[in-house]
Amino acid sequence: MEIQDKMISAAREIFSSMVMMDISVTEILTEYGPLKDTITGMIGLTGTHKGVVAVHVPYSVAMAITSSFLMMDVDEINEDVHDAVGEVANMIGGSVKNILSEKGYDIDLSLPSTISGSQYTFQSDKDFEKVIVNFDTGNGHFLVEMDLEN
Amino acid sequence: MGKNVLLVDDSSTMRKIIGRSLRQAGIDFDNIYEAADGIEALEVLEKEDVDLVLSDINMPNMDGISFLREKSTRDAIKDIPVLMISTETGDDIIGEAKSLGAVGALKKPFTPDKVNEVLTPLL
Repeated sequence: MEIQDKMISAAREIFSSMVMMDISVTEILTEYGPLKDTITGMIGLTGTHKGVVAVHVPYSVAMAITSSFLMMDVDEINEDVHDAVGEVANMIGGSVKNILSEKGYDIDLSLPSTISGSQYTFQSDKDFEKVIVNFDTGNGHFLVEMDLEN
Repeated sequence: MGKNVLLVDDSSTMRKIIGRSLRQAGIDFDNIYEAADGIEALEVLEKEDVDLVLSDINMPNMDGISFLREKSTRDAIKDIPVLMISTETGDDIIGEAKSLGAVGALKKPFTPDKVNEVLTPLL
């Protein structure tokens, strides 16, 4: 619960200070179905505990986030949108690393990467502990997920 | 004479955000150069007159720590100050950066006020 709360706080700080967008938590999930018309930005966690931090952003929300991030109109899924979603994942991953370091975990981060598609599923090891938070941007919802080896 | 800055980050989005934050913080540079990794950054430093480098740590090809290490071996550019801008704020990684000559660190996410506070003493 402590990690979840700190991850939520970190995501809200990243969006308010860098994306210029206020976000709110709508629900905490334990699972979700196939992702549709979505971009996923993810960053791997290695070290004493393996895992992944991911943000799953529907296309319309990803364009709104990128528009706000770059202060320019974005009306297609292009390289800027992938880069922006990857950078959001990178910043949340960095915050998660700092949160876990405070708890004594020794974590290294991979470089961020993105995937996108009309429909796909995102799965990590079934034994990983999962924190999945649904955020509302005012322009739609997106998910932030942390899957961490127990 | 005005000053020039080099922004080093593999994310073009983040380079734009940093440039925007510099303007919002009221910090004007004559030229803002950009590089996507440490290798490109060294190339810019060898060619251009740069007063300050703002560099990410976690980058492909040559990361921020390797960039600092390589830069410290080149007499012509070794004294140009480098401020790390990163999500990573652990004492170990920042301590290593400082031991290689970094003058400090700015944590992502940041606000224009924070940029002003950290950068102004360096200019």
